[in-house]
Amino acid sequence: MDRPIFHFALAALVALLLPFFIRSGTLATEVLVFAIAAAGCNLLLGYTGLLSFGQGIFFGLGSYTLGLALIHTTLPLLPTLVLAMIVGSVVAIVIGALSIRRQGVYFVMLTLAFAQLFYFLAYTFSDITGGDNGLIGIPRRGIGPLALNSSWSYYGFVAVIFLISFAALQRIATSTFGRTLLAIRYNGERAQAIGFPVRAFKIAAFAVSGAVTGLAGALHALLIGIAPLSDIDYHMSESLLVMTIIGGTGNLFGSVLGAAFYLIVSDTLSAIWPRWLLLLGALLIVLALFIQKGIWGLIESGVGIVRGRRGGPDAMAPGVSGSERP
Amino acid sequence: MKGALLSTDGLGVRYGSFTALSEVSLSIGANTIHSVIGPNGAGKTTLFHALTGRVRPSAGRIDFNGHDITALTDDRRVRRGLARSFQVTSLFHRLSVRENLRLAAQGRTPWQALKMWQPAERNQDATAIADSILERLELTRVAGRSAEELSHGQQRRLEVGMAMASRPLLILLDEPTSGMGIDDIATMKRLIADLGRDHTVLFIEHNMGIVMDISDRVTVMQSGRKLVEGAPGEIRDNPEVRRAYLGSMMTGGRA
Ligand SMILES: Nc1ncnc2c1ncn2[C@@H]1O[C@H](COP(=O)(O)OP(=O)(O)O)[C@@H](O)[C@H]1O
Ligand SMILES: [Mg+2]
Repeated sequence: MDRPIFHFALAALVALLLPFFIRSGTLATEVLVFAIAAAGCNLLLGYTGLLSFGQGIFFGLGSYTLGLALIHTTLPLLPTLVLAMIVGSVVAIVIGALSIRRQGVYFVMLTLAFAQLFYFLAYTFSDITGGDNGLIGIPRRGIGPLALNSSWSYYGFVAVIFLISFAALQRIATSTFGRTLLAIRYNGERAQAIGFPVRAFKIAAFAVSGAVTGLAGALHALLIGIAPLSDIDYHMSESLLVMTIIGGTGNLFGSVLGAAFYLIVSDTLSAIWPRWLLLLGALLIVLALFIQKGIWGLIESGVGIVRGRRGGPDAMAPGVSGSERP
Repeated sequence: MKGALLSTDGLGVRYGSFTALSEVSLSIGANTIHSVIGPNGAGKTTLFHALTGRVRPSAGRIDFNGHDITALTDDRRVRRGLARSFQVTSLFHRLSVRENLRLAAQGRTPWQALKMWQPAERNQDATAIADSILERLELTRVAGRSAEELSHGQQRRLEVGMAMASRPLLILLDEPTSGMGIDDIATMKRLIADLGRDHTVLFIEHNMGIVMDISDRVTVMQSGRKLVEGAPGEIRDNPEVRRAYLGSMMTGGRA
């Protein structure tokens, strides 16, 4: 259950099967876009132990960067996505570097303050961002001969990027760097004491997270054809954190589950009842109370119980489920 | 003092308005085993914090291997060859024993750990160091277990191993035998004596048997100050030391 290749196969399966379960190409695409962003959030929260409200900033700036580039320049699509990643990453480095000067609650407060600040900036400079109306009229450029003008062709494009991002994040999570981040999450003081400049590593984690989240933001703007103000709202940070946490922190595939769950449930509830947010809130409370390791944790213990009954080797031994992962 | 690997001059540490350490001048000779003893609250751990850069001294200076390191951050001191273990075991509890040591070995060249594309197991140098320490600490059998699954004695050994892994010139051990049973203590004593052959060792210890048997020099601390310093025999017979300890702790010794 802990093998990266297995998790990648699951992610590929999700990308392959979503179209069969979700009739709306937009919703299906949104699931993958937010899965990328949640995985980026997970790198900070699950692997480094940093609860950042800055994620919405990186996401929103990704949206604006793509929008501005496609509207005002003739840049092809792929370089535009790279640009969004660079912007997300650079801003994440700056915000990360300033925020990690404080720890715990004060760190969280700082990222929250930055989230408010950037929202306000986007709102105020409406000449550039479109303010309340969002940045509208973003053309969806194709890639070479590939036109991405139908919702399912765009889904295919996003699915490929999703899988590349997922594999890259997996590689990073199991790299020397990723394991060092995990060590920092488990015991930052010891990590520092054995010689790691912990702050620099946290900033590097921000850089990666910012790039991935900026990419997701760009894909989101391209999906809906506008870069809405809500992409940079601090509610965006909140949603991304909720997806990451209900999916299960410290496990990248958990983020895919979290994003899918959050978006599909929201979509279903909103069709049933206009006050659906109330239901979503109640559901999240129940989840937070009863499944502390997220959906992935629930699945892991489910598998553990089944294997235990069959007398599988070590299925319920302490520390086996996620002994190497948080 | 000539041949000193580490020396401090008038070292002091304050926690707010409380002075935990004052006017401590030490000289640790290269390739010696030097122990620090003293009652609880004497400032021994605080001294280690100051030496390793975990707390900033409020006064004095620290010289290590010919350089003034007073202003260096703790991670930089590791790169200069200073490593420590903790009084309260501080491990990466959810990671395997081998990975704990691999990380500690990597800490000597931390910037290499920024490699995002290299699988962690691919660090052959660090892994080789980890394996040799596992061997030396007799932890090879449990190398794949997470650190939290080890027995107390094994965790204390791993705690010391973490300091060994950066291959330091000076190794600081803060009460390495704390909470250990008799058998484990004997093993630890042998290990410390053994470390003294290729490192300079500075260790805090309450067990007088170990202190008297393997130290070249002993520093006694009380109330944040250095009380006396000398060879083990001198310390044992020092009336001031006996008074500080009320005789209670001196019974563990060989004498
Ligand atoms: N972080 C801290 N803040 C305030 N006081 C501290 C702190 N750490 C230690 N002290 C105090 O400093 C004194 C010396 O502590 P310590 O160095 O741990 O002593 P020892 O290791 O010799 O038992 C004690 O009185 C202790 O209560
Ligand atoms: Mg102490």
